Amino acid sequence: MKKRVFATLCAGMILAGSLAGCGGASTDSAAGGNSSGAQNAEGKTTLNVLWWGSQTRHEQTTAMLEKFEELNPDIDVVMDYSDWDGYWTKLPAQVAGGQTPDVFQMDYAYLSQYANNGVLAELDSYIADGSLDMSNVEQNILDSGTVNGKVYAISTGTNAPVMLYRKDLVDELGLELPMNPTLTQYMDVAKAVYEATGLRDTFITGCTSANLNFYLRNYGMNFFNDEGNGLGFDDPQYIVDMWELALKAQEEGWGLKPGEGTSTTAFDSMVVEAWSRQQNSNELQAYRDATGKDISMVMIPTMEDATTPNSYLKPAMYWCVGADSEVKDAAVRFINFFTNNTECYDIVGIERAVPISSEMREYVAPNLDEVSQEAVDFIDYVSQPDKTSPIMNPDPAVGNEVDELMNQYSEQVRYGEITDLQAAAQQFMDEANQILAEGAAAE
Amino acid sequence: MKKKAGPGRRLASVLNRDNVAGYVFILPFIIGLLVFTLIPFLTSLYLSFTEYNVLSPAKWIGLDNYKEMFFEDPLFWTSFKVTFKFAFIQVPIKLAVSLLVALILAKATRLTGFYRSAFYIPSLMGGSVAIALLWKQLFSPNGVINQILGVLGLPDDTAWLGDPKTALGTLIALGVWQFGSSMLIFLAAIKNIPYSYHEAAIVDGAGPVRRFFAITLPMLTPIIFFNLINQVIGAFQAFNSSYLITQGRPLNTTLYYGVHLYNKAFDQFKMGYGSAMAWFMLLVIAFFTALIFRSSSAWVYYESEGK
Repeated sequence: MKKRVFATLCAGMILAGSLAGCGGASTDSAAGGNSSGAQNAEGKTTLNVLWWGSQTRHEQTTAMLEKFEELNPDIDVVMDYSDWDGYWTKLPAQVAGGQTPDVFQMDYAYLSQYANNGVLAELDSYIADGSLDMSNVEQNILDSGTVNGKVYAISTGTNAPVMLYRKDLVDELGLELPMNPTLTQYMDVAKAVYEATGLRDTFITGCTSANLNFYLRNYGMNFFNDEGNGLGFDDPQYIVDMWELALKAQEEGWGLKPGEGTSTTAFDSMVVEAWSRQQNSNELQAYRDATGKDISMVMIPTMEDATTPNSYLKPAMYWCVGADSEVKDAAVRFINFFTNNTECYDIVGIERAVPISSEMREYVAPNLDEVSQEAVDFIDYVSQPDKTSPIMNPDPAVGNEVDELMNQYSEQVRYGEITDLQAAAQQFMDEANQILAEGAAAE
Repeated sequence: MKKKAGPGRRLASVLNRDNVAGYVFILPFIIGLLVFTLIPFLTSLYLSFTEYNVLSPAKWIGLDNYKEMFFEDPLFWTSFKVTFKFAFIQVPIKLAVSLLVALILAKATRLTGFYRSAFYIPSLMGGSVAIALLWKQLFSPNGVINQILGVLGLPDDTAWLGDPKTALGTLIALGVWQFGSSMLIFLAAIKNIPYSYHEAAIVDGAGPVRRFFAITLPMLTPIIFFNLINQVIGAFQAFNSSYLITQGRPLNTTLYYGVHLYNKAFDQFKMGYGSAMAWFMLLVIAFFTALIFRSSSAWVYYESEGK
């Protein structure tokens, strides 16, 4: 009898313990809910920060945030991070659960969706009252974080799309890729490299909406229109051109055929199957480290008959503040620290791309290692007049669906399942326009 | 035992009731069931009638998700067919292979223990990313499989996972290779068949093949039934191998239902649509499970029934 009472009590205690755990947590959050904002036991303001990135970034960001805490003794930072793929399930889950972080990283493609859904706090008033100092930041960078006329996001730095390539192989062949190559120049090198090494092209054969976007931008158009309620072009010939060139590359051998890829990661790809790869300028370091090869970068190839530069300067990523955050002041203080404080850049360098503040750019310049210097030089080169045109608007909410549709069509073309390219291109455009129109109507 | 007075005694008598002790012990499980299973389960039923992108509140749209599924999303039917093909090819092969291996391993030799473990290892590592990547490497155009074929003088330039004709087969082979758990269950069942049955048959002059079909197989039907249901449910829910190795490519020939559901829910953030897909799959699985149960009276033999 006694034994059973004892056992029951034990089970009860275990249960009570776990309930107490829950209870404790709820008391904390109740305390956080009062008017003075989220404060922990020591009276400090708790600031939740969430970001995505590589191991390098996690280490640097942790150190940088510790520095921020040191300079702001009244703030206690709670850090959380993830890789890119996990981030876009983690952040929505937190938002849906009413646990939106106070400060979090945001990507250009998702910005308008999050802003339009009321997840992001407007930052205009903080910029106006000077707590978010943007005096050394160019207007176009500020514009890049603006949705419907309001600033929702502060860029961490400026990036540009690049063509990474195996400089070691190109040098060996005595060839050279100019800084701003035309598509013909790029293809000549691609063919030569293929004949000498067997490594192939994945840019021309990619046939994604991003690739098509680079092609369209030669002629002043974008894949999505500015309103995000339809495609940004109405001639299916552009898609047909893209497909025909990809098929030609596959037939001649220098373009990777579908299903022939052997790599397990993007880094691996530049060793085992492809000599070039379209990425962003701040990723040069990561690719060099991971492959151990002499990788360099040039601008995305352009068309000879282009009317506008196809490249653009892109915010590498943003910092955003949660619309429901109770500690917006502290959140803004952090973003201001990241934008304007030299002590931040002593730690993070240009890992989140070249800083947006001109003062910080000058500050980091002399201390950069070789690879970082190359990235900075690249951005300087691209920033010259007539090298870029304005960036397209962020993707509409149904953008992913249209991208996936493009992939579906392109795959069938590349496998030879679709032979009437004209009809297929038109069909894709009709379906895509319908998805976009419905998506815009639903918002 | 001295009886105490007052509330202490009453508490003790409540705690001493058999039922109460039982409930307290299973309370953690009940809480877990409610919080982690039942509530999400019902929420997903509700969400299947809504449009929900996670960021903004769910919007009731009635049967629209189901309409889109059946009439407007060609990939839905593609993935449905792929999953059926996958299930109907993989399950019988896997059952046959695991039964065959179990029969071989039922004979006690010195190395039996080693072989049993060796054959079970792939199942232990079954869902793991490492195995999926290993498979991808083995079957890549210049992978080990092609190299072996080359040595044997066979065509060695097949892109197994890149060719629409071979991709699903390659993933099925991965599934079949992980036959360990059903094999172990078969093995245990084979060992449970009284040897006296075999002795009697041997006396009557029955050979090993005859004994297999007249004794072993009928005695195993309850276990085949159990494995069949498990495997069918597992096959309909297949996800890992496609998601990790082929992402549904090439030409959607490996686009499992689960992968399409994931793409819709977590790539395009159509949670309502994903929930609707999940509920439809639940009905399909329930239907096939019921079908197998119904059919069982015709082919499953239980000794105790004394047929």
